Amino acid sequence: MSESKDLTRRHFLGLAGQAGVASFAARAIGFNLGLVELIHAEATKGAVTPFSFAIITDSHLFSIPDHKFDRALEDAVAQVNALSPAPDFVVYTGDIAQNGREDQLVKGKGILAKLKVPLKVIPGEHDWYLDMGKTWNGLFGKETWSFDHKGVHLIGLNSILVKDFWTGAGMTPLQRMSTMEMLESPIAGPWGVREAQLEFLRKDVAKLSPSTAVVIFTHSPLWDYYPRWNFQTEDAPQIREILGKFDHVVSLHGHVHQTIYNKFANFSSAGALSTSWPWPYPPVVLDYPGSQMNQSDPANTKDGMGTQLVSLNGSSGGVVTYEPFANTLTPWLKDGVKV
Amino acid sequence: MKTISRSKKIYLGVGAAMLGSLGTVAIFARAPFTDAQIAEQQQELLVVVNKGRDLWHGSLPSMSTNGLACGNCHPDAAASNPQTFPKWVPQLNAVAPMREMINWCIVHPQNGAALDVAGPDMVAMEAYAAYLYRGEKIAPGYTIPTPPIPVKSGVGYPFKPSGIGVDK
Repeated sequence: MSESKDLTRRHFLGLAGQAGVASFAARAIGFNLGLVELIHAEATKGAVTPFSFAIITDSHLFSIPDHKFDRALEDAVAQVNALSPAPDFVVYTGDIAQNGREDQLVKGKGILAKLKVPLKVIPGEHDWYLDMGKTWNGLFGKETWSFDHKGVHLIGLNSILVKDFWTGAGMTPLQRMSTMEMLESPIAGPWGVREAQLEFLRKDVAKLSPSTAVVIFTHSPLWDYYPRWNFQTEDAPQIREILGKFDHVVSLHGHVHQTIYNKFANFSSAGALSTSWPWPYPPVVLDYPGSQMNQSDPANTKDGMGTQLVSLNGSSGGVVTYEPFANTLTPWLKDGVKV
Repeated sequence: MKTISRSKKIYLGVGAAMLGSLGTVAIFARAPFTDAQIAEQQQELLVVVNKGRDLWHGSLPSMSTNGLACGNCHPDAAASNPQTFPKWVPQLNAVAPMREMINWCIVHPQNGAALDVAGPDMVAMEAYAAYLYRGEKIAPGYTIPTPPIPVKSGVGYPFKPSGIGVDK
């Protein structure tokens, strides 16, 4: 083991006594110690200056005071703050709140404010459908964005937009929200980013060269993983077509509450661990079955949850390193997932 | 909802009577159920399955004090695997039926009040999971994680749900 690996490991174990002992001790188990070397090895290959960022997602905060999910998000923030080297920024890929309530979103913003690096946020359906994003927009700004960072073009889209199922049914905002909350609800229909965001995307990437490294964030995956649970985005084919000109696109998403990887055309796609609870894997034969994490132990409130670190190298790809709160990862996952 | 009268529900069971003095045996059995009767019985089951679906999704507040419902971790009853019970349940340190596991989840992850294991709510909880997993081979004992049952549309059973999910 190289010196840098040892230093990294010692750094984490040293932090274990400071905050969230269980989190940090568990984190050390799943930490990808090869990461730093990988970045250096790839540093000279392309126009990207290697860097890393973290993903936190799906905290599903309730209004109940001192809820266990509050502490889970706090642990995630502490875990990310302890990363060394520090990530350049954090992306939150949706579902801060459980019921879309203002107090839940405000609570989440307060916890996330403890991050030591900048934060970018996109919404999930649990954040949105009580007031159609009004509170979320007030707290977190526009849900559609892009920016360039060290040679990489990063894009965030709101992928949880559904056709109006509530007006004709005469639903109240609360009824609309509760309908969206149920994963297997047969009522709401498929999600998508819809035409306005597709147009944003077209214009956003129009002048970029095909060799540009692109990372796109959505709440739902950009492939038909399991439509019944909205593990999909209805207009993902159009998104993939718009981004089809690029040599390589990294697609990162929340919503699935599990480790998952897929590759199609020029896309590499990886899902994120939530901080709240793990979803079971749907009845789908995976192209990359190794990306399926261990079955979580319901007696361990940390199992099957965590955060992730994404390290982008100089050749427009990178590695997603899952950072579980507990021993969730299989050997396939412990080495990091190349995207 | 049409209900089945009690008198209809109770049929003469299999009867066997000895005509002692003659030493002969005559078997008395009820007549086979008619298609209409079977349909009514099936509908009664679906009423209970539907109640179970609502319970899985938070219709009984006493089952949770932290906002979590069974459906949070078990959409479409995924990963509940009713066909594998009874089996060793590590949380209970015993071989247990599904209803005991259901109560463990209610008491621990949901921090709620356990159901009466013999009560109608528990029957409904089991009925929902069992119905979605119908056709699965009964295989008591530990299994490696098994995939959920694919549910193509609706609620997974031929019944229009009400209440939870606001589908009226």
